[in-house]
Amino acid sequence: MSRECPRSLPGRLLLVVPAVVLFGYRPAAAATLSLREDVPDLEVHGFVSQGFLLTSANDYLAKSSRGSFEFSEAGLNFTLPATDRLRLGLQLFSRRLGPTGDYRAVLDWYYLDYRWRDWLGVRAGRVKLPFGLYNDISDTDTARTAVLLPQSIYPTQNRDFLLAQTGMEIYGYAGLGSAGGLDYSLYGGTIFLDVRPQPGSALTILDLDVPFVVGARVLWGPPVDGLRLGGSVQVLRLDTDLLVPGASGSVTVRIPATLWVASAEYAHRDLLLAAEYSRWLVKTESSNPAVIPEGSTISERAYALASYRVSPWLQAGAYYSLLFPNVDHRTGRESVQHDVALTLRFDVESYWLIKVEGHYMHGTAGLSSTLNGNRPLSALVPDWALFVVKTTAYF
Amino acid sequence: MRIGALFLVLLAAASVPAELPRSTYVVIVRPENPVPKLDRRFLTEAFLRRTTRWPDDTPIRPVDLGPDSPARASFSQEILALSVASVRNYWQQRIFSGQGLPPPELADDAVVSYVLSHPGAIGYVTAGTRVKGARVVDVH
Repeated sequence: MSRECPRSLPGRLLLVVPAVVLFGYRPAAAATLSLREDVPDLEVHGFVSQGFLLTSANDYLAKSSRGSFEFSEAGLNFTLPATDRLRLGLQLFSRRLGPTGDYRAVLDWYYLDYRWRDWLGVRAGRVKLPFGLYNDISDTDTARTAVLLPQSIYPTQNRDFLLAQTGMEIYGYAGLGSAGGLDYSLYGGTIFLDVRPQPGSALTILDLDVPFVVGARVLWGPPVDGLRLGGSVQVLRLDTDLLVPGASGSVTVRIPATLWVASAEYAHRDLLLAAEYSRWLVKTESSNPAVIPEGSTISERAYALASYRVSPWLQAGAYYSLLFPNVDHRTGRESVQHDVALTLRFDVESYWLIKVEGHYMHGTAGLSSTLNGNRPLSALVPDWALFVVKTTAYF
Repeated sequence: MRIGALFLVLLAAASVPAELPRSTYVVIVRPENPVPKLDRRFLTEAFLRRTTRWPDDTPIRPVDLGPDSPARASFSQEILALSVASVRNYWQQRIFSGQGLPPPELADDAVVSYVLSHPGAIGYVTAGTRVKGARVVDVH
């Protein structure tokens, strides 16, 4: 079994260090550390976030129906531009989001990056998965307007599966003259997953592995300022051994998955428009089909968003996000999730922001049965609202 | 209804001082840099660090003015087609995903000194700043 735990650090230390830097020195930019005269400066960046979740009905991400502060994040990263071609970096990350995270600090990413030419660079280590427009920045609250990215394509509860892989990435940027430029990356490796107790779940996970993940992303910047069009594909397999009540011995399950997304983004001055459409094909292969049935499902996911910076201190954003977990079953509250979100982001200082966000939800497909007392999704309230407040300090 | 009204009031209040005042700027490079003039798109890619090398393979070292500089606002809007705050968001994305670091941010005189002392450097300064031997290049 592969585990990230050995790299775990005392999470509360990670929460404290950026806070001390932020509130002790009021930085407007990164901290820069000079190690030795003949060694380039080390750049240090960090953030601390605290959020609050409240739902009108149903528990979402945390025990939100009674209001939850279990929405904390902290990160601290170090980047050393060793030469003009070679860069080293790592980020420590700790979070608590309802039942996930537990404030344990893990190495979120670390890499050695050699950029030989603009059109060819190589990263090795644990690197963010370039999937869609925003997967690789889904932790970066400071880089977007919304608190929650559209959850149909960027589900925050799937962060362990979708955020980073350990392996290699080949990337580059090629100017195409009058046709614009092409940003591309190709990657392959594995995802180390941590097996944790699943309170309330009938299944016991004995082992969990991702033997491979491969994928690619291509973003074309046509000769129109701020426009990006592209597509991403990701193929992976999840292998697990389960103990199922009533079954003798463990059941081995293989879950191959193919994910793709088509993306479009337009950014001009203070305006950002984006839309993405995605389908995820997930198969289930079981050593005991009588207990864990085999099959395949295709889910459909899409969103459209707009955000506008009204002034240097205020941004407004809105999006509509749609999820069908199974395209062959589109009826019933448990088979769909419509999400209409409205956000205000206040940049109080150059190192501190506050966001207020409201969601109107129709459907329960984005909810967790386990988090809702193991009630089936078809029994949860179909029309509900989510209110989120989040503040982030960063440098 | 009340929330909607509050939302509209906030938008209206915030939209009054929308941007920093504009100021003209000049783009400067080291005197030995052979590039006679620069394409605006090349300049965009250099300052967003998508293009990292001059045609002769020297690393491009862009340097920005500070975020409160009116010349920075003009440069961002006219060359990058983004507001200063949007450029800042772009760099937040790069920093926290491990994909790169922003150019240093300096005052006018310090930008001139940086350009003169770093091979491959390129910067811009408020028009009228003494460039002390740095070469002003046209942008088209």
